[in-house]
Amino acid sequence: MPSVMLDGVTKRFAADAVAVDDLSLEIADGEFMILVGSSGCGKTTALRMIAGLEKPTSGTIQIGDRIVNEVSARDRDIAMVFQNYALYPHMTVARNLGYPLRQRRVARSDVNRRVSEVAEMLGLAELLKRRPGQLSGGQRQRVAMGRALVREPEVFLLDEPLSNLDAKLRVEMRAALKRLHGRLGVTTVYVTHDQVEAMTLGDRIAVLSDGKLQQLGAPQDVYDHPANVFVAGFIGSPPMNLLRGRVRDGSATAGDLVVPAPGVSDRDVFVGVRPESLRPATNGMPSLGFEVAVVEPLGDEVIVHGFVGAELLGVSQERDDAALVAADGHRAEAVACLPPRDRPAEGSVIRLGVEPEEVHLFDADTGLAIRG
Amino acid sequence: MSVQPAVSVPERFPRLPDAPAPRGRGRLPFSGWHLVLAPVAAIMLVPLVWMLIVSLESQQQATSFPPQLIPSSVHLGNYSAAWNAVPFGRFFINSLLYSAATVAGNLLFCSLAAYAFARIRFFGREVLFVVLLATLMVPFQVILIPTFLIVKNLGLVDTLGGLIMPNLCSAFGIFMLRQFFRTLPIELEEAARIDGTSRLGILFKIVLPLSLPALATLGIIQFMWSWNDFLWPLIIIQSQTHDTLQLGLSQLQGAHFTQWNLLMAGTLMSQIPMLAAFLLAQRWFIRSVAFTGIK
Amino acid sequence: MSAHSATPLAVHRRPSLLKRVIASDHLAGWAFVTPAVILIAVFAIIPIGWSALLSLQSTNLIAPAHYVGLANYRALTKDPAFRSAIGHTVVYTLLFVPISVGGALALAVALNRKIRGIRFYRLAVFIPLVTSTVATGIIFLWLLDPTFGLVNYVLNLVGIPQQQFLQDPNQALYCIVAMTVWSWLGFDVIIYLAALQGIPEDLLEASEMDGASRWSTFRSIVLPLLGPATLFIVVWSTINALQLFDEIYVTTRGGPLGSTTVIVYYLYQQAFQFFNGGYGAAIAMVLFLAILIVTLLQLWVGRRRVYYTS
Repeated sequence: MPSVMLDGVTKRFAADAVAVDDLSLEIADGEFMILVGSSGCGKTTALRMIAGLEKPTSGTIQIGDRIVNEVSARDRDIAMVFQNYALYPHMTVARNLGYPLRQRRVARSDVNRRVSEVAEMLGLAELLKRRPGQLSGGQRQRVAMGRALVREPEVFLLDEPLSNLDAKLRVEMRAALKRLHGRLGVTTVYVTHDQVEAMTLGDRIAVLSDGKLQQLGAPQDVYDHPANVFVAGFIGSPPMNLLRGRVRDGSATAGDLVVPAPGVSDRDVFVGVRPESLRPATNGMPSLGFEVAVVEPLGDEVIVHGFVGAELLGVSQERDDAALVAADGHRAEAVACLPPRDRPAEGSVIRLGVEPEEVHLFDADTGLAIRG
Repeated sequence: MSVQPAVSVPERFPRLPDAPAPRGRGRLPFSGWHLVLAPVAAIMLVPLVWMLIVSLESQQQATSFPPQLIPSSVHLGNYSAAWNAVPFGRFFINSLLYSAATVAGNLLFCSLAAYAFARIRFFGREVLFVVLLATLMVPFQVILIPTFLIVKNLGLVDTLGGLIMPNLCSAFGIFMLRQFFRTLPIELEEAARIDGTSRLGILFKIVLPLSLPALATLGIIQFMWSWNDFLWPLIIIQSQTHDTLQLGLSQLQGAHFTQWNLLMAGTLMSQIPMLAAFLLAQRWFIRSVAFTGIK
Repeated sequence: MSAHSATPLAVHRRPSLLKRVIASDHLAGWAFVTPAVILIAVFAIIPIGWSALLSLQSTNLIAPAHYVGLANYRALTKDPAFRSAIGHTVVYTLLFVPISVGGALALAVALNRKIRGIRFYRLAVFIPLVTSTVATGIIFLWLLDPTFGLVNYVLNLVGIPQQQFLQDPNQALYCIVAMTVWSWLGFDVIIYLAALQGIPEDLLEASEMDGASRWSTFRSIVLPLLGPATLFIVVWSTINALQLFDEIYVTTRGGPLGSTTVIVYYLYQQAFQFFNGGYGAAIAMVLFLAILIVTLLQLWVGRRRVYYTS
């Protein structure tokens, strides 16, 4: 039985402000589910509705085997880690950790025992007598997690817990979170705007935009088979190149790139090619001309920015749907990721090829994937 | 401390206590809180509303029992009678002069001193500041008698000057403005110094214009305090022509304490300026009050 | 022009000492603070010292004073009227402060929500703050009038007999408490409201998620975080309560039968009605000491129990 289920959940704040639009989602017991999308996409609102801090305008939310729409947050057996940690500033770490247990009238000795366990598990044992104001960001984050864990809840909710940490700490905490989940196996719903976190942490990810679910699946599946233009441009870094083109007679053309598209009817399309799918062209491979503008060596790969002879459709990360970025006549920008040995010179024109299986086609009117 | 002020330059003061409460899970069409708040609001307003009602009644209506809640006829004559019974116009002017003078004095002298304490390094600065601050610890009643004697020795008993002088500058204003000045970016003043502006020029052309919220707060606090001041005027003023409004009201009470309708009319008239000012500038008043809690 | 005037390198002469002093910060600083210093010295600092001096003297405020050492203080210890004044003041304070603090807290919680008309309710609570003490006294004299007062009328409706209120030695002080609470509650409410709104909302949500009931959240999270505000209001209210005067003067003049004579009123009587200047000064010094001790005690307790979040 699914641990958490959202069925047709909608949240409307005002006549024209729909935060979550008909969201349906099932989270299996013990699963690590990630809700990912850019700001304002509704992921935090969805999380808060699961928590019970917001009430759905319509639809049902089920935790375990009961519908919890009318159940208040305190009775839902869920724990939440807030983005800003929400630690009680006037209490020591020990009292912060013990708070949820004391609220449920757990015996003092049990509270102390459990607090030590959790502190041990998260490396907080030396900090128990300190106050949140005396802790670093990373320590505070762990206390927030500890407070959520101390109750052994049925569901664990996290609202962008790593966004306030510096880059190095973020990488460490990501691994720590994954280990923790492996060890405890609690159903977890995790909200983030960072697609790297989504890809690395989740059992499954739910991509949201504008309150609507764009795609749901395992990270690798979503990466390999994006369902629409938005997901294609959102997942993967650097983002997928989306070139405007058309399909005619079973062949997709975008600028000078020609790719076979068997069984696809004639229409306008967007041709999607990931930067890492582009490599120096060999015979027989569909290829396009690439004028190199900027080369960024990263050590293990080289990011090449340049122009291709096609209208490029850029997916703006700020907007929720695929939007047209003005193309400069018939030339537009594109990005390729090449191995260091294939590093081109700036200003040169090279020919890059792509395997037909790695080309994604999207219908220009609906944005939906045609194949790929 | 208890309130977190915003950070930008002009907004150094606490959020107004009229920011909306928790983003909720949906507002009820009729909240149960109304049942709690309405009676409380009634209790707070009834005395004032009653004052209004009685002020419009005739002597007979006013002293009837059970009291009439709605006057059967409106007697505006009470107001003119009260106005004439004691020189109300004179009282208004005296109060206005007293308040305006103390506000002006405080704004000027406290600004000068606060600026020096905030930005100028001079010999004995720290000690002097502590000494001035210490005067705030002493309640007025303690120095009431000597202050009276000092004003008497200056020959200013029963004069507006004698009323005003002890209140021309208060350490409270110095403290408040110093705190505020210190939060202004010093680069602006340094740039002006390099351009050759005198310290006085910097104060008046740069610092004060940026300090309007603080000055307004100080001005309001001082104005309210002076307008409603009673004990000091009671001691220092002896003739009716120099009475402030509050003193005058007390006189009216003494002379006409059986004519409640008249008395209420007089009382209402005396409160109108403050009430009007409050209703028009609520945000500023509330801010000023909230601010005193910050120190 | 002498032979000295034109030299290829101008000799740098240090400005005279006088010039340096004038241009220096020290002078500027003192120049700026002088008006304030003079005013405060004359009207605050000197009076403080003089008050102490006066308490050791006997004067009728007109003729020159002469020294009597600690005679005033000794007289105070034996003065039954002074002891009553202290008693009245203490009773008043012990009623005024808790009622104000508790009432203001409850009101602030009630007013901290987003329902229709909340602005009106808040305004209603704040308005009495703006009325002067004299006006308040007059209004309440009439409200509590034994014969014609509105309050007696309302009591009558529920079957309670007419009360003498301010004319009853046993009730007058309590009426003063009610009157001053009405008058000053808004001040405390403003402070509490501001403090309540300073509590980050996610702390309250976290508490809810942690399983706390509304009341438990209030007790464990909100109340402690209101500590600084509470301390301020307690100290401020206490100081004001100990200094009560205006309302007494306007309503009861210390009566009936001296039942509302508080310390400052007694001071006023002694100094300005009976012209015992020295005695009044001694009373003032005792009051000062009392306020100082009480305030320090409260701050000391507060220091140990109140947590500041920044």
